[in-house]
Amino acid sequence: MKIVVLVKEVPDMESKFKIIGDAKIDESQIAFKMNDFDEYAVEAALQLKEKFGGEVVILSSGPERVTKEVRQAFAMGADWGIHVSDPQIDEGDNYVVAGALVKAIESVGGVDLVLTGVQAEDDQAGLTGVFAADMLNFAHCTNVVKIEVGGDQKALTINRELEGGLNEVLEMAMPAVLTIQSGINQPRYPTLPGIMKAKKKRLDLKKAADLGISALGEAGSKTKFHKMYFPVSEHKAEIIQGDAKAAAKTLVDKLRNEAKVI
Amino acid sequence: MARILVIAEQRNGKLSEATLELCKAAKEIASGLGATPAAAVFFKDDSLAKEVANYIPEVFAVVDGKLGAYDADYYAQAVKAVVEGQDVKGVLIPHSYDGVDYAGKAALAIGAGIVSNCNKATVEGGAVVFTRNTYNGKIQEQKSVKTDKFVATFEKGAYDKEAAGGAGSVTAVAVSLGDSRRKIKEVIATMAGSVDISQAKVIVSGGRGTKEKDKYNDVIVNLAKKLGGEYAASRPVVDAGWTDAARQVGQSGKTVAPVLYVAAGISGAIQHVAGMKGSQCIVAINKDPEAPIFNIATYGIVGDLFEVIPAMMEALG
Ligand SMILES: Cc1cc2nc3c(=O)[nH]c(=O)nc-3n(C[C@H](O)[C@H](O)[C@H](O)COP(=O)(O)OP(=O)(O)OC[C@H]3O[C@@H](n4cnc5c(N)ncnc54)[C@H](O)[C@@H]3O)c2cc1C
Ligand SMILES: Nc1ncnc2c1ncn2[C@@H]1O[C@H](COP(=O)(O)O)[C@@H](O)[C@H]1O
Repeated sequence: MKIVVLVKEVPDMESKFKIIGDAKIDESQIAFKMNDFDEYAVEAALQLKEKFGGEVVILSSGPERVTKEVRQAFAMGADWGIHVSDPQIDEGDNYVVAGALVKAIESVGGVDLVLTGVQAEDDQAGLTGVFAADMLNFAHCTNVVKIEVGGDQKALTINRELEGGLNEVLEMAMPAVLTIQSGINQPRYPTLPGIMKAKKKRLDLKKAADLGISALGEAGSKTKFHKMYFPVSEHKAEIIQGDAKAAAKTLVDKLRNEAKVI
Repeated sequence: MARILVIAEQRNGKLSEATLELCKAAKEIASGLGATPAAAVFFKDDSLAKEVANYIPEVFAVVDGKLGAYDADYYAQAVKAVVEGQDVKGVLIPHSYDGVDYAGKAALAIGAGIVSNCNKATVEGGAVVFTRNTYNGKIQEQKSVKTDKFVATFEKGAYDKEAAGGAGSVTAVAVSLGDSRRKIKEVIATMAGSVDISQAKVIVSGGRGTKEKDKYNDVIVNLAKKLGGEYAASRPVVDAGWTDAARQVGQSGKTVAPVLYVAAGISGAIQHVAGMKGSQCIVAINKDPEAPIFNIATYGIVGDLFEVIPAMMEALG
């Protein structure tokens, strides 16, 4: 089974965010990591490979930095990868990025499954997997929490998460795109030998021109970014000051005598 | 006149609240653009279309035996047919499990740009500007589409539901649906558990910031016991197996509204907040002063929960 996993690098959300000119975050202050949901997707792919054989290909679009996350997936056990590296793609919206990722998937050839995260923690769009499926003309399913492969290795039985603790169980044929929800598995930690091997694994670099992409940057996008800002809340909490001990004491007092909830 | 079209959503023949909320969004956007608000209901009969007509003046009913339950391929085909046949400018879809599953596909089918996961829309100079959460709720951004038509998905609760003055019209639209590549086998419940946290008066909830199972038990479970309440968790805690799924609060877990909800080491992602924002008094304990949870909390302590919670235990006596 040939599986491509889309891996995105995102800021660690506990980083200190600063916005430059209403337009972008100050990346110099940010620690980057693999999108959480994508870690579950990598693990899901590795488990399928262990059961059915084949290969796991990691695909990521972004600046040079993202090779760190690709190598992390290699260290977990993925076989090889493609780094789509072109600022003209990164400047585009989800439509442009999905289009570029699809070209890279097509360049792999004979792909049975494409796994993505449910959403990226930074843009929270939840669009890339669905776009990619449509562009590839593959069947798809989002919010996947269980994958079973049928005997002939062409049929899938999938649980799609629904609201209120429900799952929809559905069947479809490969090739398919699945967007993977957290909790589907317990992602493994890279081992030391894994990390050593990861350094030597094949990582192809592709520019927009190599992939023959015409929709690029802002011009190729179907959406337009206006601005970004920190939310202003009308309901901002009353922040209780003091060291932990003093604050805790004040809090308990307020819960007892002001809010009267304990 | 061009239309702003809500795509209704149902499960087991019950309309979602989000559908009715979006009827209000459609009215607001339509009035700003000089368009008219409408909805499309895809179902096996026209009963739900009649229900939606209590919230919006014009409803298109696409009736087909294939539309008894949601399906991505059928929905994308049906959206395309209604948009192309009825002079639709904008399509509004709930950012729900089903909505997320087909909205991107529907947008490509009609050649429209899509802005997903929005919480607000305003009309500025004839264009619709959408506001949405990014970076796990730490930053808001505004976007619009460059295409003639647009698709937008909205968070639950972004708009209030509001009945229309009278019953709207229901018009049948015939659509010939092709094939679907998916086949639904069944819908199953996966979160059954012995405990029902939704009945508790006090809930102490721990997030990823509690670090590991033993520590979660140590601080969260103990504080809950001390306060005579139940303990609960955000999704990552359940994913990691530190506590049972029946204790998860949020969009994919339980909805709770206790008298007191203590959120410790929880950032306040929209999917978590969806399950607890109705609580009477919310306490947030988080070491990050910018954590979005402080935007909905009553009281906040910026600090290390492993210091604050033991100090609370002590102060409680
Ligand atoms: C379709 C869908 C459904 C979802 N459903 C749910 C749901 O039902 N429920 C849910 O909770 N989530 C749900 N999520 C996940 C949600 O998006 C967030 O990822 C999740 O809520 C984050 O959990 P958290 O706040 O515990 O972790 P994080 O976002 O990682 O936050 C951890 C917080 O702990 C703080 N912290 C760390 N150490 C300390 C310390 N020592 N002291 C104090 N504070 C500390 C950090 O500052 C941070 O704010 C869903 C997501 C999707 C896409
Ligand atoms: N630049 C990228 N490179 C690789 N994968 C991506 C990229 N952007 C998005 N994805 C994938 O698409 C998923 C959903 O992202 P989004 O649509 O941005 O919410 C992510 O979890 C990734 O699996």
